Amino acid sequence: MRLTATFILIFSLFAILLLAFITWQSSVQIQRQQANDIDRELAALQRLDATGGIRALAFAVERISRNPGPGVYYLGDATGQYLLGNVMDIPANVILEPGTYSFDYERANPLTDPPTAIGRSGNGEVRDRKTGYAVVRSVVTSNGLRLVVGRDVVERRGFSAIIVQSFLFGVLGIILFSLIAGGVTARRVLKRIDTIRDTSTKIMSGNLSERVPITKRNDEFDGLATNLNAMLDRIEQLLQGLKEVTDNVAHDLKTPLTRLRNQAEAALRAGASDQTRQQALETTIAESDRLIQTFNALLMIARAEAGAPSGALTDVDVSAVVADVAELYGPVAEDEGIVIETAVTSGVHLRANRELIGQAMVNLLENAVKYAKPDAEGQGRIMVGLRQLDGRVLIEVADNGPGIPEEDRKRVLERFVRLEKSRSETGSGLGLSLVDAVTRLMGGNFRIEDNAPGVRAVIDLPAT
Amino acid sequence: MKILLIEDDREAAAYLIQALDEAGHVTHHAADGETGYAMASGMDYDVLIVDRMLPRRDGLSIVESLRAEGDKTPVLILSALGEVDDRVTGLRAGGDDYLTKPYAFTELLARVEVLARRSSPSEAATSYEVGGLTLDRLSRKVERDGEAILLQPREFRLLEYLMKNAGKVVTRTMLLENVWDYHFDPQTNVIDVHMSRLRSKIDKGHATPLLQTVRGAGYMIRD
Repeated sequence: MRLTATFILIFSLFAILLLAFITWQSSVQIQRQQANDIDRELAALQRLDATGGIRALAFAVERISRNPGPGVYYLGDATGQYLLGNVMDIPANVILEPGTYSFDYERANPLTDPPTAIGRSGNGEVRDRKTGYAVVRSVVTSNGLRLVVGRDVVERRGFSAIIVQSFLFGVLGIILFSLIAGGVTARRVLKRIDTIRDTSTKIMSGNLSERVPITKRNDEFDGLATNLNAMLDRIEQLLQGLKEVTDNVAHDLKTPLTRLRNQAEAALRAGASDQTRQQALETTIAESDRLIQTFNALLMIARAEAGAPSGALTDVDVSAVVADVAELYGPVAEDEGIVIETAVTSGVHLRANRELIGQAMVNLLENAVKYAKPDAEGQGRIMVGLRQLDGRVLIEVADNGPGIPEEDRKRVLERFVRLEKSRSETGSGLGLSLVDAVTRLMGGNFRIEDNAPGVRAVIDLPAT
Repeated sequence: MKILLIEDDREAAAYLIQALDEAGHVTHHAADGETGYAMASGMDYDVLIVDRMLPRRDGLSIVESLRAEGDKTPVLILSALGEVDDRVTGLRAGGDDYLTKPYAFTELLARVEVLARRSSPSEAATSYEVGGLTLDRLSRKVERDGEAILLQPREFRLLEYLMKNAGKVVTRTMLLENVWDYHFDPQTNVIDVHMSRLRSKIDKGHATPLLQTVRGAGYMIRD
């Protein structure tokens, strides 16, 4: 509300200033115009006096005195005796001292008052006399007469009054209009802001599913509300993820920690043989190594999901990375009776993080080697591919194992999710989560497809 | 070997000093950055083991100062920060190797011993020889007792790294780092399988095996 008031005030002040300026300018302009008119007329009459003498001057003064309008004319002698013109009484100093003056005067109607009647004023009752206020200039003519030319300014003042009046009405109108418009706008804006504030209050009190309502107007507020809602969606999603992760961390780290503790207790138990102790300690170290690995994987995922600093992304020959990792796993696969076929387009560069891409490839190949099964020819098969397609770079690792049911393909990307079938296998349930996080870090998407049979893991990255 | 350990965790330091002593190395210890820097610049050590986060002066600044003074003593940086960028900043500061906590002592020992060798002149050798096995780095030829052995490029690099550090234990992680240039722990036995292939190529049919597995640590080539 205060904002509205301020705006109305500023707006009105500005309007008033503008109108005042216009008023002042027009009155100055009128004054200047009048002074010019007087000067011109006076000059013309003096020229007439110089060329045609007193007769021509007297004739001209008499003629123009009969014109209706604001003109004020007077011709008299040096003693102040009226000769001609539409004003008979002129203050003495105007006659004595040539110059510019303004004064109240009484105007004789040249139509009714015979201007030539020297020394008399009709029948003594001068009718239709108008009083007014005049601005005049007086001069002494060539033969010592006094010529006074001026303008009645009451008319001018009337004009000024009209301007001032319209100015006041204008200002009043503006203030009224801005009050109404401001009030209406403010009410509407405040209402929208209030709904946003109400929503945020509800969210702060714990109801994170609350959303800012969006109107059909599609204005700036709807734009803001849409963004706020999108932000809230993201926050809710992140919090949900965080909750799941903490639940899972609690479960998946406590289990090995318990095993660790049990081993240590077993080693300490009275009567345990040296061999038992040795074994227990070795298991303890192996167990803690696994824990460290899980921990590192979690940190890596968290870092990738938080979005690594742009400095961590450099120009990487992804073809080389993919081929390297395929080669790294070649011998292991072969020992398991699995052949790795590669179809890698060489020389593909991306803005990426080499270590993370490498780790993602390692995770995919670990899985593929774990699940690839002998086919009819007794051969397990893994296909590692990298190809470019419509401005995208597709990295694929496919195996001919049992595959992942369609309904689980999204779920396996979540942290610590392990399908029942794989429970018996070693693994942390973090491998695919890391691949997913790394892919998203580089602006791509990771998906599991059906290789019929088996899994086809696809890292789909935008080409750079 | 004379080692300076700059580490503020007393317990970790005591364990390391004892373990290094058992491995036959003399270890001096500094518990904070300033003392460590003073000791490192005042005395001659074969290797410095520097924790990255230290009281009074951080590990990286010690290494930077030493390098600026022209001190080329090999440095192994220890750190709980193990991300790729952390490793890069550590090596850029002048560290020769970077080990993330928690680590296995065997890993640390192997790295320290390999590092110390760096200051020896054999670094630039063009060929290596271990018990009748020769590797020529220029012609990329490998022979054992005059008999040519055909190796894949990767196998050649594995052998090259092992022979460069002949007589020293190299761990699986060190092999992955130096031969493949990746810095993660391989989960399955990927490295072992590569090693067994290499072994079958160089040791098959010979009475004395050169490539040895060091239990719980890694591999070593020696005659």
